[in-house]
Amino acid sequence: MHISDGVLPLSVTIGGYAASAALTAWSARRTRTEEMPKLAVMTAAFFVASLISLPLGPTSVHLLIPGLTGALLGPSAFLSIGLGLLLQSLLFQFGGLTALGANALMMGLPAMACGWFFQRFKGTTRRRQTIVGSLAGAAGTVLSAIVLAVLLATGGEDFFGVAKLALAAHVPVIVIEGAVSGLTIGFLAKVKPALLQR
Amino acid sequence: MIDIVHITVPWWQVALLLMLGPAVLAGAVAGLRRLARARVTAGEAPDWSVPPLAAEGGDTLLHRWDVRCKIVTILAYSFMLAALSRPQPAVAAIGISLLVLVAARASAARVLIRLLAIAGFIGMFLVVMPFTVPERNGDTLIVFNQIPWLGFNLRGLGLAGTIAAKAVAITLLMEPLLATAPLPVTLHGLSRLGAPEMVGQMVLLSHRYLHVFRHEARRMADGMQVRGFRKRTDLVTLRAVANFLGMLFVRSFERTERVFDAMRARGYKGRFPEPAEPRLKPGDLLFAGLWLLAGLTLLVWDRMPS
Amino acid sequence: MHELTPIAPPVEHPDPLLGVRDLHYRYPDGTQALSGIRLDIAAGERIALVGRNGSGKTTLIKQLCGLLAPGSGQVYYQGRLLQGEHLEAGRLTIGYLFQDPDDQLFGHTVLADVAFGPRQQGLSAEQADAAAREALKRVHLADKAYKEPHHLSFGQKKRAALAGLLAMQPQVLLLDEPTANLDPRQEQVFLDLLKTFNGTLICVSHDLLFLYELCRRAVVLDQGRVAHDYSLDELVTQRGELRAHGLDFSFRLVLTPEADEAPAERGPACAPMAAEPTAAPLVTLEHYVFRYPDGTLALDRLDLGIWSGERIALVGENGAGKSTLLACLLGLQQGSGTYCFDGRPVTRRLQRTLWRQVGLVFQDCADQLFCASVEEEIAFGLRQLGLARAEIRRRGEEVLAMVGLEGFQQRVPLHLSGGERKRLALACVLAMRPRLLILDEPTAGLDPRSEALLLEILRGLEATLLLVSHDMFFVQALTCRTLVMHQGHILRDTATADFLQDRNLGNLNGLAFSYRQRGSDAIRALQHAHEQRHVHGHRHAGEEAALEHAHVHTHRIVHSHPGDDQAHEHPPRRFYGDDLPDHAHDPDRHN
Repeated sequence: MHISDGVLPLSVTIGGYAASAALTAWSARRTRTEEMPKLAVMTAAFFVASLISLPLGPTSVHLLIPGLTGALLGPSAFLSIGLGLLLQSLLFQFGGLTALGANALMMGLPAMACGWFFQRFKGTTRRRQTIVGSLAGAAGTVLSAIVLAVLLATGGEDFFGVAKLALAAHVPVIVIEGAVSGLTIGFLAKVKPALLQR
Repeated sequence: MIDIVHITVPWWQVALLLMLGPAVLAGAVAGLRRLARARVTAGEAPDWSVPPLAAEGGDTLLHRWDVRCKIVTILAYSFMLAALSRPQPAVAAIGISLLVLVAARASAARVLIRLLAIAGFIGMFLVVMPFTVPERNGDTLIVFNQIPWLGFNLRGLGLAGTIAAKAVAITLLMEPLLATAPLPVTLHGLSRLGAPEMVGQMVLLSHRYLHVFRHEARRMADGMQVRGFRKRTDLVTLRAVANFLGMLFVRSFERTERVFDAMRARGYKGRFPEPAEPRLKPGDLLFAGLWLLAGLTLLVWDRMPS
Repeated sequence: MHELTPIAPPVEHPDPLLGVRDLHYRYPDGTQALSGIRLDIAAGERIALVGRNGSGKTTLIKQLCGLLAPGSGQVYYQGRLLQGEHLEAGRLTIGYLFQDPDDQLFGHTVLADVAFGPRQQGLSAEQADAAAREALKRVHLADKAYKEPHHLSFGQKKRAALAGLLAMQPQVLLLDEPTANLDPRQEQVFLDLLKTFNGTLICVSHDLLFLYELCRRAVVLDQGRVAHDYSLDELVTQRGELRAHGLDFSFRLVLTPEADEAPAERGPACAPMAAEPTAAPLVTLEHYVFRYPDGTLALDRLDLGIWSGERIALVGENGAGKSTLLACLLGLQQGSGTYCFDGRPVTRRLQRTLWRQVGLVFQDCADQLFCASVEEEIAFGLRQLGLARAEIRRRGEEVLAMVGLEGFQQRVPLHLSGGERKRLALACVLAMRPRLLILDEPTAGLDPRSEALLLEILRGLEATLLLVSHDMFFVQALTCRTLVMHQGHILRDTATADFLQDRNLGNLNGLAFSYRQRGSDAIRALQHAHEQRHVHGHRHAGEEAALEHAHVHTHRIVHSHPGDDQAHEHPPRRFYGDDLPDHAHDPDRHN
């Protein structure tokens, strides 16, 4: 779920821009300049991954995979997510241009936290990486939902209802996100462990 | 102070009301989608030896406008719109946006696709807010006789409507902002405004490989489908999707390395060549000033005590 | 007077453009990729770099343009070590054409991409633009300058990538599998472009017929070492050597209709085509039309019947509609018109279960292999069929034995070699026992040895086979009937033997393989007895060590090649092209 234009109060959109600009700058400093093109190409892959939908009963859900992004890209994840969201906004209008900063916070903060969590606790066995990966994936979604709800709730009491609903809408996705993230990391641990070393 | 006004309606009207909103929305979405699809099939221009900008015949005021002015003005104006709080200025803003659309001769299909993309999120506000905003003095509540706790608050509807109008007004401006110059020019304008040159280049690279990876993902999905895979809500599906994602990342990562090699082999050393510097004309600034003045007027009108 | 030593000493070229000395390279994961490479390349040479998959060809190419730094040893370019500033400058005059053009076309538009190199050379935006347009004109893409790369066809992308290099006026071109996945017409266009390039050219390819047309000198790599370095004419005559390096493509040369091989070697035993087959067809398409969402007509009132047990080839230029036809047969796409499978019309419901009947081996294995072990990979489709665990296991073992991958169950598909992956993909499809087996360009990217192995497996299969290929040799070796597709029609439906006899038909449809015929004829002539000039570098034996030196020496020997593995009385030596009179591919020279 991406926040579109016109929803958040002006102060929050501007604050979101400022905060994510600072985080992007930090993230960019942690990425080597000459490696930036690599990150851009990898961003395209995450972008495509986020277009995949999974059936959930009668409806279907899109994967957000903030946890997975963080686990694979480490500190560069914020830069990558900001880039991806900018593109989504430019191409598909998923997420408004004025809400770009807020959206970046919503996806980027959980990604960084989960990336750190995964790298800290991943251990060495494939089994453990799968479990820690799924925890990171699930936590990423939970955190995203919380940030989204908090951002919406800044609009005042009138928005509490919508914020609660948005939070609730993420609950069924948590299990799916956790499972897919964990299994993907388990796959990579066997096939290309180098991708998990950050 | 005025108390809360309660209007009581029979219960069956609940169902009607509940169904009417989503039905109208769904109908609108379906109609828009069909329209958008019909328009997109128009086909591409056959000759690409001239820049697409000129080929599209888009030699309007917005096409000629300096790209830096365009970005600053539309972005600032969008923020002004985001700050509106009353429905009337928001609806007036849609009117202005429509005028700009006509002036830029933007493709209706692409505008519709953009509107479709926000329909779900905005629709949620329209459906949820009337039932969830807290009751305040002066509110008008439609209460259904059998279900006292379910009150339809007209103030909530107004609030959601304002949000929707602002969102639509800003979304309508995206085509004039982005489609009146090739993406590299727009991004270069951004970097001329102080954003690092690398940002624009990274957006372009991502955009380029987005298509490559989408084709790859498409073929991989076909590969799974011809071996009988269908997406269901079960663990097998999750495992298959995880493998799919894993392969997508592995292939992308390997391609990333090759692309980087290809760039280095052609002399890339961490910097991209900069395109020519555009020149600013007084007319560009005048147009920007006029537009921002319109935005300010809307804001003042919005904040005026009624 | 001269004693010819078995291994010729390296001959120092007086002024090589590129020089490699004792080059060793080990990948970070510990694999030894190159060991003790020593090579001199003079300006203007055209070198074929050959060897089986994994012999270090691409690694060597990357060393030559400085993308990889030598582990030990040196790479010289224009007489100076290729490193530091000289490397940065050198890269601007050494062009490297990647196998996949998408790796190389990173620009937003074709023009922007082609201008990238000239801009890095320090040209102004206008100059770079002019250079880029000039290069695009050279590769016949001037009208696509502002197109985004992903809207180009594969052949156009490949040429656009070449334009990106030509715009930089390179002195050296390094080409990695330039003909992979190109249809014969595109291949011809590409070959003509490369022939007009007058700098140094180093080409990695498995396609010896293509190399034979383009290059004069051949360097054979084997396990990271230079195994041979001689003229291409000599290389192709040494069937024993070719076989030892997994390069024996001679099995392809029987393509020429005049070939006098036993019929068993030439193709499957084909029953004469009956005018009206009596049994009901497995697949029937009548007036089948498919239109893309954007309105392009991909299949235009197509009629087709496939009978059980038939072996059919589907040929046609890229964009003729072959892929769309496959997608429709597989049920991935649905057009309008009649499509009956086994007598039943394919409705939406039947379309969803077509995968049980029709199997496809994709052109690119990466699209098909996505599991973490070979066992899971094979079980993936079988589970969807709802088979019991024991049966899945049994079938897995059975198909792995069929494709020569016994005991591979626990291996990771991604870590297998190209040939093994291709055979695994085939095994996965075979395990599902499809009634119709479709192969899409099965030979793409395989080295000749893997091709031969695959051919052997496919020959032994008893299945209804539909082979989509540009590879006329595979068409001939595997099929009895050929469908020629053009612009969404089936233009011709004929016996494969007749199709191959009719060279004009091929040329008419953009299947120009005439140069292949020419090369094939010439090589066949060379592989028989002939008289040839040889160039030898050798040592003056019996003299003092200080006087022992290498030199180039031309003489004329009449000898014959007994062919196959028989001992050869005069093995070829090191070759330096600049001293050699031109080896025109003149069949009259041979007896």
